[in-house]
Amino acid sequence: MEKKKLCLALYTGSVDKLTAAGVILGGAAAEDMDVEIFVLLQAAFAFKKENAMFNDRVAEITDKKDEFLASLKRLGTPHWTEAFRKAKGLTSVKIHICGFAGKVWYGEKLDDFIDLADDICGIAQYIQTAEVADLDLFI
Amino acid sequence: MMTTEELRKLKADKVVDARGTACPGPLLAVKQAIADVPDGGIMEILSSDEGTKKDVPRWAEKRGYQYLGDFEESGYFTIYLKK
Repeated sequence: MEKKKLCLALYTGSVDKLTAAGVILGGAAAEDMDVEIFVLLQAAFAFKKENAMFNDRVAEITDKKDEFLASLKRLGTPHWTEAFRKAKGLTSVKIHICGFAGKVWYGEKLDDFIDLADDICGIAQYIQTAEVADLDLFI
Repeated sequence: MMTTEELRKLKADKVVDARGTACPGPLLAVKQAIADVPDGGIMEILSSDEGTKKDVPRWAEKRGYQYLGDFEESGYFTIYLKK
């Protein structure tokens, strides 16, 4: 049976949305979907080696940030990087860093990003992947 | 669907204790462990996450596994699958 494909345009650099992306990735992994993630603008900040584990910005309900982060801890929710890593271990997940986005955050080389990233890409790759994906999400 | 009494009598070939993990943790634990269950074997899943009760039957049906039923006790759910 041919696997379904999920194309995820990941724009966000905020842990609330990255955590949501991790949950969705888990669902895709459970369904054996092939996943391609395109790390765009603000997400490239979160994928930088020096930021990934220290960035705790949230995009929404910002006045409840401490409560939100405490709840993630209370519920044993893995850090988004671990959720992504787990999904990578269970199904095919390719993570592409947008070359422009990387440069915005002074990330010129793949080595500037956490080891989850597979390569640096251009926008044509995203468009072509999104064109044929069974599910195309923007977060 | 089996009754709670019938479910309690089942002997599981594999037990997945996913209590204390939130969605999608239990489902991923099931996916990882299903390879350890022989064809026709029984998997018992313990989960404190209510969503698992709906996710596991859907996931199982899609793969041709049989959802046998579930029951709740002491704040967690026990779910049974037949591979």
